[in-house]
Amino acid sequence: MIRLSMLQLRVQAITAAVALIAFAVLLAATGPHLASLYAASGLRGCQPASCGQRANIFLQQVDSTGPYAAVYPLSIILIALTPAVTGLFWGAPLLARELETGTFALAWSQSVTRARWLAVKLTVGGLAAMAVTGALSLLFAWWAAPLGRAAGLGGSGNSLAMNQFNPLAFATHGITPLGYAAFAFTLGVTAGALIRRTVPAMAVTLAIFAALQIAMPLWIRPNLFPASHTTVAITSDTTLNLFTTDSPHTFTFTLATDGLAGQPGAWIRSSGAADAAGHPVSTVVPSACSPAASSSGPGPALANCLTSRGIRIAVTYQPASRYWPLQWTETGIYLVLSLALAGYCFRRLSRLS
Amino acid sequence: MNAAIQASGLGKQYRRAWALRDCTLAIPEGQVAGLVGPNGAGKTTLLRLAAGMLTPTRGTITVLGQRPAAGPAQLARVGFVAQDTPVYSRMTVADHLRLGAWLNPGWDDHLARQRISQLALNPKQRAGSLSGGQRAQLALTLALAKRPGLLILDEPVASLDPLARREFLQGLMEAVAGQRLSVLLSSHLVADLERVCDYLIVLIASRVRVAGEVSDLLASHHRLSGPRRDPGTLPAGQEIITERHTDKQSNLLVRTDGPVLDPAWAVKPVSLEDLVLAYMSRAGNDRPASPQQLKAVS
Repeated sequence: MIRLSMLQLRVQAITAAVALIAFAVLLAATGPHLASLYAASGLRGCQPASCGQRANIFLQQVDSTGPYAAVYPLSIILIALTPAVTGLFWGAPLLARELETGTFALAWSQSVTRARWLAVKLTVGGLAAMAVTGALSLLFAWWAAPLGRAAGLGGSGNSLAMNQFNPLAFATHGITPLGYAAFAFTLGVTAGALIRRTVPAMAVTLAIFAALQIAMPLWIRPNLFPASHTTVAITSDTTLNLFTTDSPHTFTFTLATDGLAGQPGAWIRSSGAADAAGHPVSTVVPSACSPAASSSGPGPALANCLTSRGIRIAVTYQPASRYWPLQWTETGIYLVLSLALAGYCFRRLSRLS
Repeated sequence: MNAAIQASGLGKQYRRAWALRDCTLAIPEGQVAGLVGPNGAGKTTLLRLAAGMLTPTRGTITVLGQRPAAGPAQLARVGFVAQDTPVYSRMTVADHLRLGAWLNPGWDDHLARQRISQLALNPKQRAGSLSGGQRAQLALTLALAKRPGLLILDEPVASLDPLARREFLQGLMEAVAGQRLSVLLSSHLVADLERVCDYLIVLIASRVRVAGEVSDLLASHHRLSGPRRDPGTLPAGQEIITERHTDKQSNLLVRTDGPVLDPAWAVKPVSLEDLVLAYMSRAGNDRPASPQQLKAVS
């Protein structure tokens, strides 16, 4: 039975192997040079004070040399799309095509029970889908390691230095791609078992998978662990915005920050003006600070004045140490969903004509 | 003699409609049984129940003494060729033989190869590019080479041209002669079954109307014609299957186990086709009669 499912996956496997090899060649051709740029940047063993600056210089250098600025987003897109592609083209037809063309009757009249037939097909296909996505993400992790280290050392303000919690970065690094691949595959198989036609099953698979991939970073992932809260002083890194109002000499302001001192790589969920206890404060500029606001706008004078009035920034965030717990939890959720769908497929198949 | 297929009160319901009802049958082992009936009569449902593709809603069915598809061993004992003889269109003929060898412990590779070469099929050809007849032969080869005790074929020749039809049935008969094999095959045409079957089941509107050995069926059905008379005056034991009356004459098709002794009747034997058609038209009369029909009878 294993040999049969491999025979049936032959075309898909060859396609995947070709794509994988092409990707590996691209990364192997550019990776060593990227590593040598990193070695030359002096980032290894840098003094903490100079690391951020050196990291930024390195990232700018990478951004402007060679194909890296293109390879990086291309790889991310490829890894993000692969689970969907394997779910659509491997998962959805797995049962739908057999049911559509009637070949299930040929398969089920061999001396192999239906349950075993499905178990082997699910295992072989599912593992293959996970292996392809896993291999892509491992190759990319190797290639992008210098960029990740630079980002970790404080490099920012560059599309190559994504925060590790950035939705695209989180979904293409670590172990989450494996969970996505397993889920998209079993989702495709289930859709095929229910709809019994390949093309509609592919469409439904895509719609549900895409919806979950959007819902996950927006609404689910941030709430998997209770967020941490802190208040920090307004600094030069704070984004301070000033707005005029209808009444003269009255302004409103907003405060925001995209990083926390001493917490590199933290995932900032929200930030805003608050008092020392973290309670939100009025966003109307206090009258004492109005002169500073009207004379020099949202500058250091206003920032100092707000600070002197006890105004700080309340930050809701996930510390960087939550990265792996979140990776494991999210992957676990997808794997449990995959198992549940697979279980449903067995039930469905035992009752199917 | 053991039963190849034994069904009792067997029924299958799809959502609201019953595809098969109250089916009680015992098809003896070692025979070629034909299942005949109009399209939509429930033939496919009965065969799929026997092959274990479906589970019954009511009643029980055993195949060679066990529940269909009860496990790998039972699956190995039953060969099934589904309607339209599905094969994997992207796989080659040789791939299909490999599939059979991988999935069936009792696979007879010699038999499979021999049949493929007899049929002059190119092993490297994709199954999707085979003709209908070749595809049916490939499906039959797969089913035969697993060396089943019972072979179930659902309308195997329905889509074949007359020549391919004859070749297929001939190949089937040769295989049956060579193996100790029971066969159950369906068709909506009696002519297909007439030459190959020893046993016949007539299934109409989801019910079994008559079943038995072909020789018994032919011996117990007679066409009677004679002067017009009231069908109620027939002796007990003569069951009317169809009747047609003119002003002066009555034509009946009756079933009786004894001889027809009344000298008023001219007794003729019936062909299998007549017999099946008679049951089909009788089943049609089961519907509530319209007022006009009632008038015509009286």
